Amino acid sequence: MGLRGTRLAVGEHRVVVAGLGALAWVVGLLWFFPVAWTVFTSFKTEQDAAAQTLHEGLSLDRYSDVAHSTPGTLSLQSAFTNSLVVVVVSTAIVLLLAFPAAYALAIRPVPKWRDVLFFFISTKFLPIVASIFPIYVYAQKWDLLGTRTILIVLYIAINLPLATWMLRSFFREVPRELIEAAEIDGTKLINQLRSVILPIVAPGIAATALLCVIFAWNEYFYALQLNFADGSTMPQWVTSNVSTRGNFLAKLSAASTIACLPVVLAGWAAQKRMIRGLSMGAIK
Amino acid sequence: MTATAADATLAKGKPAGLQGSAWRRRLPLLPALLYMVAITQLPFLVSIYYSFTNLKDKTQSIIPEPTEFVGFENYRQIVSDPFFRQAMWTSVKMTVLAVVLSLLFGTLFAILLDRRFPGQGFVRTLLITPFLLMPVVAALIWKQQMFSSLFGVLNKVVEFLGFESVAFISDHPLGSIVTVLVWQWTPFMMLIILAGLQSQPADILEAANVDGASGVGIFRQLTLPHLRPYLELGALLGSIYIVQTFDAINVMTGGGPGSTNVPYYVYQESIGGGFRYGAASAYAIVVVVFSIVIATFALRVLSSLLRDEERA
Amino acid sequence: MFERTRRARSRTALLTLAVAAAGLVAAGVASTASGGSNAKTISVAIVANPQMQDIAKLTPSLFTAKTGIKVKYTILDEGKLREVTTRDVGAGGKAFDAVMIGMYEAPQFGAAGLLQDLTPLAKADKAYNFNDLIPAVRNGLSANGKLYASPFYAESSFLMYRKDVMAKSGVKIPLRPTWQQVASIARKINTPSMAGICLRGKPGWGDLGAAFTTVLNTFGGTWWSSTPSGKPDKAQVDQPPFKSALDFYAKLVQDAGEKDAANSSFNECLSQYQAGKVAMWYDATVAAGLLEANDSPVKGKNGFALAPVYKTKASGWLWSWALAIPKSSSDPATAWKYIAWATGPDYIKAAGTKTAGGWAAIPPGTRNSTYRIPQYKAAAKAFASTTLAAMKAAPITNPGTTKRPGLPGVQYVGIPEFQDVGNRCTQLFSSVIAGSTKSADALSQCQRIATQAVK
Repeated sequence: MGLRGTRLAVGEHRVVVAGLGALAWVVGLLWFFPVAWTVFTSFKTEQDAAAQTLHEGLSLDRYSDVAHSTPGTLSLQSAFTNSLVVVVVSTAIVLLLAFPAAYALAIRPVPKWRDVLFFFISTKFLPIVASIFPIYVYAQKWDLLGTRTILIVLYIAINLPLATWMLRSFFREVPRELIEAAEIDGTKLINQLRSVILPIVAPGIAATALLCVIFAWNEYFYALQLNFADGSTMPQWVTSNVSTRGNFLAKLSAASTIACLPVVLAGWAAQKRMIRGLSMGAIK
Repeated sequence: MTATAADATLAKGKPAGLQGSAWRRRLPLLPALLYMVAITQLPFLVSIYYSFTNLKDKTQSIIPEPTEFVGFENYRQIVSDPFFRQAMWTSVKMTVLAVVLSLLFGTLFAILLDRRFPGQGFVRTLLITPFLLMPVVAALIWKQQMFSSLFGVLNKVVEFLGFESVAFISDHPLGSIVTVLVWQWTPFMMLIILAGLQSQPADILEAANVDGASGVGIFRQLTLPHLRPYLELGALLGSIYIVQTFDAINVMTGGGPGSTNVPYYVYQESIGGGFRYGAASAYAIVVVVFSIVIATFALRVLSSLLRDEERA
Repeated sequence: MFERTRRARSRTALLTLAVAAAGLVAAGVASTASGGSNAKTISVAIVANPQMQDIAKLTPSLFTAKTGIKVKYTILDEGKLREVTTRDVGAGGKAFDAVMIGMYEAPQFGAAGLLQDLTPLAKADKAYNFNDLIPAVRNGLSANGKLYASPFYAESSFLMYRKDVMAKSGVKIPLRPTWQQVASIARKINTPSMAGICLRGKPGWGDLGAAFTTVLNTFGGTWWSSTPSGKPDKAQVDQPPFKSALDFYAKLVQDAGEKDAANSSFNECLSQYQAGKVAMWYDATVAAGLLEANDSPVKGKNGFALAPVYKTKASGWLWSWALAIPKSSSDPATAWKYIAWATGPDYIKAAGTKTAGGWAAIPPGTRNSTYRIPQYKAAAKAFASTTLAAMKAAPITNPGTTKRPGLPGVQYVGIPEFQDVGNRCTQLFSSVIAGSTKSADALSQCQRIATQAVK
């Protein structure tokens, strides 16, 4: 069936479609080039990496340099586990909170929905450099420094506005007639959600979840300021390679490549969901 | 109008008193709302409190200075601070340029990707990867490997074409930072626009095609209006994040007249060297006030995001 | 097919809930399960330099194995380390048992009563050998005669140059050059493919600020004048020596300096020098070890001279990364055990044989005994004596031609206000180097900043 992912291609000539496909490839490769260059750099020696030459060949040495750590320093396993737990838990809770909130703001809007949406977005106006002082003071008081809990709590607060706004936009796509039809039929709310709303907003949920995962995975400031010793996450592991006295670009490239892989996989998985399925036919 | 009409619809399916249905509406919202209020308002209120004091880090004075209430002194200093004004102007330039350009590219890429072609998923993943990098790493890559006058890839291309190498970061600090931001944030915009394109009902497009409309025509009359809320959403969310840009400036230029934006300026005032937490909080509160004003204007006057014609 | 999606959705929802629940449990467990065993564990924050990375790697085998004390390292780059340690020390120092701080912070934190006085501990420890410490380094880390941080690593600044390039141009660089000599040589040998000299240009009180302040000092200028009691009085940025120092520095970089000067610091100059793109380099003495390393493309081609001067006898800076114990530490005795090992003469000997970089990569500049080790002298033959001379000559109590506040200190002013003033002013100066700001504008703005800061 040709309908999947072919919005503009509806009615387009085969040659045009092929040409645009090739253009997409060119654009993708060009945009990706700096990332590819970084991965390439991760196989070089530090001298070659700094001067962008290739005198000493390629090897996996930088990967073993960064992946091995002595007891007492932040290990890849420890950082990865912390990041994984924090990101998965916070994203799951964000979606659990944002889904009903978006419902209440889009499908059955509460009277002051505009103010609520504005409030959500306004929570992101305070520069995090300022918000860190009170947060640090209270985290210290309640013995939460260096724990995964504090990061989970903060990351939920960071991502909830984004998730609420995005899910609300997708919920608005659900045609009112469908909802009303389901209500007239007397369908229970939970079945309404499953059979009517969810199929339409599923790609949106996937996109939202992916963005939340990316933001939480790469979040560096709070993690550094609160979990500098215990409970450190991947961004801290990656940047522990940065040095002001000596070249580090090859090691940093290797560390970044490792750190990116889980998110790349998450993106790939989300992609599957983001392509509309044939369930659209249920509207008829 | 909104409450009663919808309540009437509800009443058709289920018998429920007006009181009950209003709370049933609010209930799904409450967990998220209460959570945000609890977690974000406490730091905000404490910041307001700090902004009226002369709170400094204890390392900043040999003889311990007690933290005292100084009233509006911090705010008065902000008014007479030309560097803060400069930082605000740089923030505006940086954010507007980065948001507009990444939205433009993101939309173009989304249109390109919203079709079936061999390797569609793979190209989509390729385009998303810049967004997956840590901002620090992305800035370092561009600084050392792309922009460097001696070793950078861009300058190798420039020299290959016969021109002299360009000192991108030294001569064009704002442009360099905007480039990195656009490179990283275009995928973000692309994801949102793509979701918007995907949510367009296929049957309407098919019908228009059957009626004989051209591809471009369909795009202008049907797709673009449908995309408007997504474009605005991308602009809103993108602005919120891009305005907080910090790492790119720290890594690439280290600040300076051309590239210090407000977050970097506040950082300098606090843990970046000044350690004047009270003054920094005052700057932050000023930023919040400005942002509320701008956002209110943008959302209520310009954008259709908070307007709701059809839905009750 | 419909049924399948519905089941898939409910499965996903259940899975999400299960993960969330499991995660919350794990998070709760993780928050309580930090450390807590029979062995003592101390928490140390160090900077991400190669020598520090080395000691982190060697600690389990050389320290924990012998004493049973586990060390948990937090390794951060300089800027982030300063953010975290300053805030921690200022807040009472509960996060770390030992912190690595610089020569800028040590006297200030010590005088403010935020650090343990290490003098009695150091003097009582025979193996530590208190008198072996290079006096300038020891004094730089002390306040009121008390040592507040034990040096792990120290550097001064000097001039490095390509002997072969100088020979080809028929130029000789004396051991004690003047800035005018260096400038004319740089301009003479400057070509499009190889710049004359590499000087720092990246904004930051420790980047451009360090190199520029040494030039400022020897040109007779200073950041602030001093009251009789040693407090900062008036900002001196608008004075003629300051202007001539800035103009000299900026013009030299523009005429004969490296590409991308406005965001070049140590690492950028290092890679340019190693790639043969600059012929001279004025920077930290520790660079010599990197230039003469086995894998360096310019090994054996380098000459070394003391930091160029003008109106003073010496101008090289002095910097040290040193370990300190916050005042409210719960176990200063164990922390001292660690510090005494890490900054003692035995570790230096061990590092020579057990690290990847070998003898040329040991922590330099802290002790006289280091420069008597035969293997080190052999490995560092090209630069060891010049480095030691530079360290000994660093004028930490009298860096310029006038009285000034914030002593000891060469390339910085030892007052808390200097960090922010230095950062903001060097941003302006860097912009002058890049050609986007006029020197007079930069100086007047900086004067305003410096005046405001000490009001």
